[in-house]
Amino acid sequence: MTQSLGAKSTTPISAQVQRYQWWLFLAVLLLLWAVLRFVPWDAFTFPEAWNLHLREPIDAFRYWVIGNRNTHWMFVYFFDPLSDIIDQSIRGVENFLLWLPWPLSVLSVTLLGHKLGGWKVALLAGFSLLAMGLLGLWEESMQTLAIIVISVLIALLLGIPLGIWAARNDRVDATLRPLLDAMQTMPAFVYLIPVLLFFGIARVPATIATVIYALPPAIRLTNLGIRHVPYETVEAARAFGATPRQVLFRVQIPLAMPTIMAGVNQTIMMALGIVVIAALIGAGGLGREVLVGLQRLRVGQAFAAGLAIVFMAIMLDRLSHALTEVDVSQRRSQKYGRGRWDDVKDRFPLFVRRYAYLLLLALLIIVTFAVHWFITDLQTFPDSWHIPIEAPIDTGVRWMRDNLYNIGNTGVGTGPFSDFLTIYVLTPLRNLFTIWVPWPVVILAMAGIATAAGGWRLGVATAVGVLFMGLLSMWIQSMDTASQVIVAVALAIIIAVPLGILSAESNAFQAALRPVLDFIQTIPPFVYLVPVIMLFNVGRVPGIIASVLYALPPAVRLTDLGIRSVDKETIEAARAFGSTPRQILFKVKLPLAMPSIMMGVNQTVMMVLAMVIIAGLVGGGGLGLEAVIGLAKTQTGRGVEAGIAIVIMAMILDRMTQAWAKKWQVVEQH
Amino acid sequence: MDSLEPGWTKADVLEQTGHVVAVKDVSFEVKEGETFVVMGLSGSGKSTLVRCLTRLTDPTAGQVLMDGEDVLAMNDAELRALRRRKMSMVFQHFGLFPHRKVIDNVAYGLEVQKIDKKQRYERANEVLEIVGLSGWGDYYPGELSGGMQQRVGLARALAVDPEILFFDEPFSALDPLIRREMQDELIRLQEHMQKTIVFITHDFLEAIKLADYLAIMKDGEVVQMGTSQNIILHPADDYVQEFTEDVPHSRVVTAGAIMRPPQPDDEPEQFPAVHPETTLHDLVPIAAEYDARLSVRNEGGDLIGIVDRRTLMLALAGQKVNGS
Repeated sequence: MTQSLGAKSTTPISAQVQRYQWWLFLAVLLLLWAVLRFVPWDAFTFPEAWNLHLREPIDAFRYWVIGNRNTHWMFVYFFDPLSDIIDQSIRGVENFLLWLPWPLSVLSVTLLGHKLGGWKVALLAGFSLLAMGLLGLWEESMQTLAIIVISVLIALLLGIPLGIWAARNDRVDATLRPLLDAMQTMPAFVYLIPVLLFFGIARVPATIATVIYALPPAIRLTNLGIRHVPYETVEAARAFGATPRQVLFRVQIPLAMPTIMAGVNQTIMMALGIVVIAALIGAGGLGREVLVGLQRLRVGQAFAAGLAIVFMAIMLDRLSHALTEVDVSQRRSQKYGRGRWDDVKDRFPLFVRRYAYLLLLALLIIVTFAVHWFITDLQTFPDSWHIPIEAPIDTGVRWMRDNLYNIGNTGVGTGPFSDFLTIYVLTPLRNLFTIWVPWPVVILAMAGIATAAGGWRLGVATAVGVLFMGLLSMWIQSMDTASQVIVAVALAIIIAVPLGILSAESNAFQAALRPVLDFIQTIPPFVYLVPVIMLFNVGRVPGIIASVLYALPPAVRLTDLGIRSVDKETIEAARAFGSTPRQILFKVKLPLAMPSIMMGVNQTVMMVLAMVIIAGLVGGGGLGLEAVIGLAKTQTGRGVEAGIAIVIMAMILDRMTQAWAKKWQVVEQH
Repeated sequence: MDSLEPGWTKADVLEQTGHVVAVKDVSFEVKEGETFVVMGLSGSGKSTLVRCLTRLTDPTAGQVLMDGEDVLAMNDAELRALRRRKMSMVFQHFGLFPHRKVIDNVAYGLEVQKIDKKQRYERANEVLEIVGLSGWGDYYPGELSGGMQQRVGLARALAVDPEILFFDEPFSALDPLIRREMQDELIRLQEHMQKTIVFITHDFLEAIKLADYLAIMKDGEVVQMGTSQNIILHPADDYVQEFTEDVPHSRVVTAGAIMRPPQPDDEPEQFPAVHPETTLHDLVPIAAEYDARLSVRNEGGDLIGIVDRRTLMLALAGQKVNGS
């Protein structure tokens, strides 16, 4: 009785605190800021004396590695043989691809496309491969393809068995899950540094980094696919006395195949995405072309290589995507109807019909090699076929720079936009974090936001994480990167959410938007930078524009999906009460779509961070630049410090946005 | 939500996480050739019960004896042998393999026994004919209607010629009309198969229609066990009583249950003779036609009781009469 009375009397006060907690928090921050301003201690620069000095031991370790590379057992018996095997396989594949007469490659890819997905896939894949040659990049493309083939093979050989194991054993799943989360949260850039240390510069570390990056989807989707096989189907197999092996190979794996193949598709696309970045550590091929083009501002060269990458992406995506369409659980007998070509097909003997593809392939091999040996060289892609797009692109860029940069000197154009963003948004925000506000206040503010999103545990973890960035002597760089991420995320969401809403409200708009989003998603992130630099010059802005583009598709799609999956009956109910379309959107659809939209925000944040880091290459500064320096020069320690700071930032941002997303989910349930 | 255990039934999750006891203190005996029905609403533990019998779920305590052999003590190989030869199961959502043709679904149990293809197809075609699906073997399950899919499920279970058949709510995913058709089909099949059947259902009418012996479950425990007629006429508590209220008595109560002992002045030879297991529903037309009492005689033709019209009418109205 007394307890309930006591509780009653305190309720108004706690409610008051609740209502004004944000103002209170702001007041505390301001107070702290005022105090720190007038104390003799300099609270505006992170104390240099607190530096953990991580880079010295790391550099020492690096020198030890260099000194002992040829003698220590770890290298002699483990890293070197492994490195040799991988190097030899890549070389083998590369030599094979370059040895094949190019028409044979193009035509067999076409044939494969037809077998997997019909004429559309066949033509798209065949043309994409041909286009790489037409761009004058046949050899570089085959080098890149060789690395992708080997990395994807390794990733699948590791990933699929691990995925199966995780699906059958909950403990393995529970152990792998956080590991995979961390792997996927980390921007790819970060892997490169330690890999470099153990495998030296060349294609091998590039392959290893690619494998690490591309592994998670293979494991995850195999696991998911097997676990999603209807329980009763598995039970039925068991009930008839199937052994666990029989259940796995005859029921679970066949039914999980579409999902496993989606994993293969994602693995391939991720491998392609990073193989370009891996050019930084000597992967060669197309990535190197892009990189050199970017560094020397030869936009034409970078663009041609970027285009070749896009073609490779299209080819690999369509071929591997066709695999996911083969869903055995949707099988139908072929009793109904006959195709247009069935009458023609029936004229051939059964043997020919059954082995049509193999016979065609054999025919192709014989013909192309006959032509190659007796008529003309088919191994090197003919120079005369090269369509030189570099020069017109360079001209075009010059034209754009002259004409779009500042249209008619009106102060409108990409140049002034870039300047505006830099001077009025980016720089003030960075200054806010690094100069105007003392660092303890920054940490407290971030901890406060994290607490609001995900409770005090996350708040404390965030505070420790942000402090740690300072201790790594990466305070200024981290705040620089953070300011860019904030601006890019804000821009991306401002653009993506309305697009998503429009797309959900109009089928025509969705249909028009789909190919654009597909295209953006197929392009490896690195390549965005090329056209963006043309328009926005080097600096922080192109990185931000590229990030916004890169993060757009998932944010738009998740908003669209969220709104479209709102229960029809709920919307009907709102209509029945006489709501206007606008009211339905804002009072019903958007609130219910919020969990999905928040997932889009989470993905946006993570993708933007990854891209902002990559943009360090083109003058984005911040942690990305530090990582690049660590990679390109011999300052491994500095690179590792930046890498750790990036990982911390990625983790904090991921947890914070996920916690926020979860809050909305709770709202939805009520 | 990133669900950890997709596809598990609620009972499975509860059982796996160990938080809720799904079934306790349930003990019964099924005789050879008998149809034993377990009836209960969702969450009553009936699905877990049948999974304990087949060890698709391992019970934490108890005993399951099949022909005197302890199923729970069996190792994996013995258990598989048991599943391959002695028992088979029909599932609620059919549990068919969508990636295999109908014939390969039906032949599955034979395939895992490593019986050669010709032989198992022969048997599968035989069984398909029994369930009325001859000619459908080359189709995939996705091309068939729900009722046909469950016929495939039934054929798959029959193909291995098991001694015991387990049915886990096999007809509850079907439309009412198809459901009734399947029930009649099962009764027809069972008439000459004479298999031992354990049948799970949440439908009381289905239960009394099929059962030789019936157990009603609630919250993991059996509240009443007995023949359909016995349960309807003597519900153990209000819970059971509520189910029985919807039951048309005329289709369950038999002449044997309402008859009175014959008396010297009955002149039973004048009366039409009926079997003690004839239901009231079937007595009515006879009684109407002959305008007299009915004599109840057993298989041997011995007079064992008399049903007069008043008793019949009262019984039809659901009132208790005589010894019933």
